[in-house]
Amino acid sequence: MNDTEKRLALCFANVFPELSDDQIRRASTASIAAWDSVAHITLLTSIGEEFGIDLDFEEFAEANSFAAVLELVRARSANAGN
Amino acid sequence: MTLNQALALIRSARDSGGEKQPHCLLCGFEPLHLKTLFQAHLLERLPGSAVEIQTGIYGDLPGGLAAAAESSALGAAVVLEWSDFDPRLGLRSSGGWAEHLQPDILASARQRAAHIETALEKPGRRMPVALVPPSLPLLPLGNTVSAQASVVELELEHLLASFLSRAARLPGVRIVQRNRLDRIPVAERLDAKMELLAGFPYTVPFADLLAASLADVLYQPSPRKGLITDLDDTLWAGIVGEIGVEHVSWHQESHSQTHGLYQQMLGHLAGCGVLLAVCSKNELTTVEQALARPDLFLKSESLFPVCADWEPKSKAVARILRTWNIAEDAVVFIDDSPMELDEVRRAFPGITCRQFHGKDPAKVWQLLGELRDLFGKPLLMEEDRLRQASIRASAQLDEMGDEAASPEFLRSLDGKVTLDWRITPGDKRPLELINKTNQFNLNGLRIGEGEWQRALEDPATVLAVVSYADKFGPLGKVAVALGKAEPDENGVTRLHISHWVMSCRAFSRRLEYHTLEGLFRHTGAAEIVFAFAETEKNKPLRDFLRAAGIAPPAAEVPNASAAYRLTRDAFYAQNHVLPHETVDVKI
Repeated sequence: MNDTEKRLALCFANVFPELSDDQIRRASTASIAAWDSVAHITLLTSIGEEFGIDLDFEEFAEANSFAAVLELVRARSANAGN
Repeated sequence: MTLNQALALIRSARDSGGEKQPHCLLCGFEPLHLKTLFQAHLLERLPGSAVEIQTGIYGDLPGGLAAAAESSALGAAVVLEWSDFDPRLGLRSSGGWAEHLQPDILASARQRAAHIETALEKPGRRMPVALVPPSLPLLPLGNTVSAQASVVELELEHLLASFLSRAARLPGVRIVQRNRLDRIPVAERLDAKMELLAGFPYTVPFADLLAASLADVLYQPSPRKGLITDLDDTLWAGIVGEIGVEHVSWHQESHSQTHGLYQQMLGHLAGCGVLLAVCSKNELTTVEQALARPDLFLKSESLFPVCADWEPKSKAVARILRTWNIAEDAVVFIDDSPMELDEVRRAFPGITCRQFHGKDPAKVWQLLGELRDLFGKPLLMEEDRLRQASIRASAQLDEMGDEAASPEFLRSLDGKVTLDWRITPGDKRPLELINKTNQFNLNGLRIGEGEWQRALEDPATVLAVVSYADKFGPLGKVAVALGKAEPDENGVTRLHISHWVMSCRAFSRRLEYHTLEGLFRHTGAAEIVFAFAETEKNKPLRDFLRAAGIAPPAAEVPNASAAYRLTRDAFYAQNHVLPHETVDVKI
């Protein structure tokens, strides 16, 4: 697991403290009842703060799983690096 | 605190197993990050507890206040925004704010302000309520450029100020100082994107400042009780022993106004019930002459005791602490000399020592602000006004030595003990006594305001609030006993005392025996059980428990609260001297 994934997992763990590491990596809006709109915005702000990136609301709204969020963060971090 | 720090703190406290501490956060918007940050700041102030935050329904602040009043919350935070006074003042409204609508907006804001004020009354009676006034900028209502205030903006500010001054007078309601929020400029407070998309109006840093301010207002540190001041180059400019009584100064015209400001601050603190004393290396007669100058900005009688001699200052400080009968950590010592401050600090590490920089107005200004925070309290009480006089009376008794403890002398005081058995939630004095008394304190346990209100709602609760007055004057409310009277399976009533405190100002008057007699008489209890625990400071209480036959021999059960009991028969068999007239106040 690389650093980005670890840091993202920590953001998820803070927002969904009842989930195990394994559950976090498999998490999606469909499988986690607690992943509602409030949790989604909390995640958005938490991730923005952790990675120093300004995530777009609409774009982030479509990121409905840990994997999708990870992909988005990687892309945005790479763009920010460029 | 960042949002991630707050989330991590909440996560780590999740499994603390601490006592549940429910609080309400009430606002007209989606509380989102403010809820997280408020919970985290409360966790910092209530370590080891399980802080829970209950919120209301979006857009229904009065409804949230009504629900809070019926809840078991220990405290409430209310965050107002302009849209709570009229939805048209919010970003999410489409009602418009054109000039022809503004009279109606103002009228509606007045109505809503009155409605919110009424809704604040109930929760304020049951728990402390911290209220933040609107902190976001108004919509561009004015016909003027933004540099010029428009009439409608000024009308709204006037309406708000009027509302806040009324709300601040409601029991339990505390207004967060608006200028405290100025640490973050207005332009950096609104997150317009988040407001429109999620209904949450604040940037995270500003939400953090709001949350911290609310927690600070709800959970304030215990105020210090006494201030010991130096004289030369502190209370006044100049060395009185060298330049003479007439030439020390504290006035604007003599360029020593910083000392005049300091005197005025001490005068203000004395009016708030803060004990003031003098500790000066000087001849006492010279000092007395200087303090008798009629142009002094504080009443010289508010300085007691006045210690002036040539001994190390720590010795005078020790005498002052004995006279006041308070702990060193409740005292602030102010001197212009770093050497004197250091000497006192070494002898009394708990004292808050501050240097007076008479030639640096900015530092004096800073000191005045710090003194406000060290001595500030949410509410002034009658006892604050009486404190200085009663300390003088106690000092007179102390000077009499053993004679002052004799029954004959105590009877000669014409003392009257009032035992008030009424449950009066609005009276904050009993709670203040419980939370600041150290020496005569059954167990050192403190109670939050919300917890106190819940205890008073329990029908089994017994509360005795003890006041005292004698020919030396009134001491006010000086003791509190809180407990529960419950019958056992045989119908025998036992009174379980959870808190019992008495102000050190009331020592040596046998009020503790009057209180015990009152508790047996009022409750009809066959036995009183005391939740005793030894603390570093409650030796006076322990001495009393032994003298009254409540404490078992120390070697047998050193600290088992179950063993601290007193039966009615044993109490009355001891024929304790009760030298004062007793008056009961009931519903």
